[in-house]
Amino acid sequence: MLKAKKKLGIVFFPAFDWAISPTHPEREERLLYTQDQLNEEGIFDIEGIVEYKPDVATVEDIDRTHFCFPDVDHVTTESHLISAGGAIKSAKLVLEGEMDRSFALVRPPGHHAMKVVHGARGFCNINIEAVMIEYIREHYNVKRIAVVDTDCHHGDGTQDVYWHDPDVLYISMHQDGRTLYPGSGFMQETGGPNALGKTINIPLPPTTGDEGFNYVIDNVVMPILEDFNADIVINSAGQDNHYSDPITNMNFSAQGYARLNDHLNPDIAVLEGGYSIKGALPYINLGIVLAMAGVDYSYVREPDYKYKDLKQDPRITKYLKKMSEQVLRIYFRDSKDDTGKLMPGNYDVRKKDIFYDTDGIRESQIESIMVCEDCRGVLKIETMSSVNPLCLGVEIPINACERCISEGYRILNDGIEKERFTHVQLIDRVKKKYQRY
Amino acid sequence: MLLGVDVGGTHTDAVVIGDGGVLAFAKVVTRHDHLLSSVHEAIEKVIENISPEKIRRVNLSTTLTTNAIIENKIEEVGVIVSAGPGIDPGYYTMGKHFYNVEGEIDHRGSEIVLIDVKEVERVVRKSHKDGVRVFSAVTKFCTRNPLHENIIKDRIGDQANFVTMGHLLSGQLNFPRRIATAYFNSAVWRLYNDFADAIQSSIESHGITGDIHVLKADGGTIPMDYSRKTPVESILSGPAASVMGIVGLCNISGDSIILDIGGTSTDIAIFADGAPLVEREGIELSANPTLVRALKTSSIGIGGDSAIHLQDNRISVGPSRLGPAMADGGSVPTLIDALNYTGHSSYGHLEKSRAGIESIQAKSSMDAKSIAQSAIDYSVTMIYNEVQRIVESINQRPVYTIHELLSGKKVEPRHLYIMGGPANAMESLLSEKFNMKTEVPEHFRVANAIGAALARTTVEIELFADTEHCKLVIPNINVMKKISIDYTLDRAKEDAIEMLRDHLHAIGITDNEDDIEILDSSSFNMVRGFETTGQNIRVRCQVKPGVMHKYRDILKQC
Repeated sequence: MLKAKKKLGIVFFPAFDWAISPTHPEREERLLYTQDQLNEEGIFDIEGIVEYKPDVATVEDIDRTHFCFPDVDHVTTESHLISAGGAIKSAKLVLEGEMDRSFALVRPPGHHAMKVVHGARGFCNINIEAVMIEYIREHYNVKRIAVVDTDCHHGDGTQDVYWHDPDVLYISMHQDGRTLYPGSGFMQETGGPNALGKTINIPLPPTTGDEGFNYVIDNVVMPILEDFNADIVINSAGQDNHYSDPITNMNFSAQGYARLNDHLNPDIAVLEGGYSIKGALPYINLGIVLAMAGVDYSYVREPDYKYKDLKQDPRITKYLKKMSEQVLRIYFRDSKDDTGKLMPGNYDVRKKDIFYDTDGIRESQIESIMVCEDCRGVLKIETMSSVNPLCLGVEIPINACERCISEGYRILNDGIEKERFTHVQLIDRVKKKYQRY
Repeated sequence: MLLGVDVGGTHTDAVVIGDGGVLAFAKVVTRHDHLLSSVHEAIEKVIENISPEKIRRVNLSTTLTTNAIIENKIEEVGVIVSAGPGIDPGYYTMGKHFYNVEGEIDHRGSEIVLIDVKEVERVVRKSHKDGVRVFSAVTKFCTRNPLHENIIKDRIGDQANFVTMGHLLSGQLNFPRRIATAYFNSAVWRLYNDFADAIQSSIESHGITGDIHVLKADGGTIPMDYSRKTPVESILSGPAASVMGIVGLCNISGDSIILDIGGTSTDIAIFADGAPLVEREGIELSANPTLVRALKTSSIGIGGDSAIHLQDNRISVGPSRLGPAMADGGSVPTLIDALNYTGHSSYGHLEKSRAGIESIQAKSSMDAKSIAQSAIDYSVTMIYNEVQRIVESINQRPVYTIHELLSGKKVEPRHLYIMGGPANAMESLLSEKFNMKTEVPEHFRVANAIGAALARTTVEIELFADTEHCKLVIPNINVMKKISIDYTLDRAKEDAIEMLRDHLHAIGITDNEDDIEILDSSSFNMVRGFETTGQNIRVRCQVKPGVMHKYRDILKQC
């Protein structure tokens, strides 16, 4: 009988009764064939692989992570609370030592959901990895977390949530933003003033294949992870780099995905996108499961797999080599660099216009972060959108310094008194206070 | 009248049940080297004062196939599989004649790669030359499309006495389990058929002309003639016989716990809404998970004969059995001796029980009474914890819809039914610990044979329909038909029930067609690009485990 070298918990929740709309890629059918394949392979009979039911995330779990306007209920459905709960459950399995590794095979996904949520963008309402990470930091003694996002689309949501967080390293490898939604994720995007170099973007040219992905994992991602020295590594496991995916242009295969997870060796994987539901997902998910459990995956391939058609163009190989050197240079330059910061005690301000493609919402925000040498810095976001008048979000981060705490309450009270905002939300991670005014 | 025979590890029990309730019962020692004689003898004894021609039906629960597999007294099987991509099927090798041939069918039942017929013919010839006369053909996703299994069987032709095809065993997806199940099925085929021949003539020799059925691990029966093709279904039917006995003897409604406290172990079964729970996947045999449906039962090593241990001044019980209780002439004090000491029972030689408990006192700082009490508390707590664990695992079972996750039913047992040797002695203790109403049924000593006698036919089928391919398949009852593109879930449900009913009629069962129920059903919109191309429909339905209504009512009046 087969035995897992690493005990793997799989939180499988296909939400067979939920879809964005009947023919939307994010529909009931999405994980049906994956379930058939896993069942037919007898995955859950392998000693050390156990299936679990998801938890249901609470409103507090969401409020700890996001500024939701007008509130959590208006921007989520039960399905979102369950998929976030599935991610939380998988984190618990690993952090409580019940399992060595875990994989949240849940939908809907989350990596396009940003710090502020007015609705759905890129099929995502709330960022399920971020909700999971904040749950972990609230309940367990874990400081440094790395997220490696292998979805084909730039995880602009996760990048936004952790832009100012020096303790969460976010690495995204994705199809070059010049050729695909959401059009961001360039090498120069490396994080806010308090977290410079803790966001790393690796834009890959269209038609990058197994060779290229694995080259980047081995030569860029692994050295950076080693330097960052994370307590836990999370794979934001999108599956739309697949050569058969209908909405992207890459040449990655199920074997490639399995090998990627084998090399990356994440503690937790969370499913993100991937819409070749019949020809790719069953085989990719099988490959990831086997690789994470340390079981032989050499016979996993797609029925229509032909190596010769997917062989990577030598020009891409050459390009990736050059780009990899550049990304490494950027990481080691920015993450070690203290010069070029603004003076501590001043706000660094960004203006952002965000389009929610799924719900057709437009948002404008002004984000201000306190440049701080003692903590992550208090965060203030003023935001208005086509569905909400002006709102205010104030976040006092974990381990905030005295200055940032009192500054946080000052801007909060100021915001309430001036009555400029229709909704005001406070995230106080020091006192664990999550409130709306 | 019904005749039930349960061949157990130690005893073979037989009962006759008629309009007046339990009319006769008999117990003989099981002879493992000659099961037929044990069955013959038990029947002979039980019908001593009964006219054999009045027996309408004989239900037999036997350990024949189980023992043959456990003791590896089985025939060599040529196993021919084809897998396509996935886990290397080499990991699931069964026996010495295991061949993986090229061929591939995907999860929707589409043929991706043709089966390598030449290679099939080559390995069949080779196996035949090696003396192999029974085969198993198993292909991945055969339950969606049995084409390749049928081709393999066709190519084996008359070079085999018997071929098991995976898709006829179960509609469930699980390739490794299907390989093991098909292997065991062929491995015991000859042995079982010889036994069935002998049993049939033995029963006829008693002048009994009723139908003969065999018990399965899911608490149901199948006609013996029908079981000749699926002998693997007769494995591990013992625990199910006892559980079905309780169903016959007690009016179980709601969520309940059944405890069968034996000599070396306690078997636990859980009922939800008055019906026994069935294992989701199938039962495990000789460390091989199979697709054989079984009641969800669990066993822990605490029984009346479990030895009492003293270590570091702490008392524990079991899981070892070092002979019978001292009350029964054994040499090591057991749970029964503790129950005797505290006055919960007065079984066998009480003074020997007393001496046994006192012998532990000599080695510890506790007094004898506390020792006996600790042993009992320990046993009750162990049973209680195991029950909690099972109920918890049932309630933690994964579900796949938001509706089930948020409003799914939880199992919350309110009643406890106890049988087995120490049942009466432990009733009040268990009642207090579980804080539940308890019941010890009358006749529990032959509950297993009663269960065998009263069990009815069970069948489970899985319908799979794909309106894009215009195909419908119900693998294990060998249904494949064309459907139109406007076929719906409602029609699939009707068809499933009707085809299951037809199947029952075909195997000669007419008395429980009202008990067909849909277990679950779903229909998925299949979309390619932005167009709906069809529906992917699944319906699972069964004749659920149960006992013959008429006799159950009679027994309960007794």
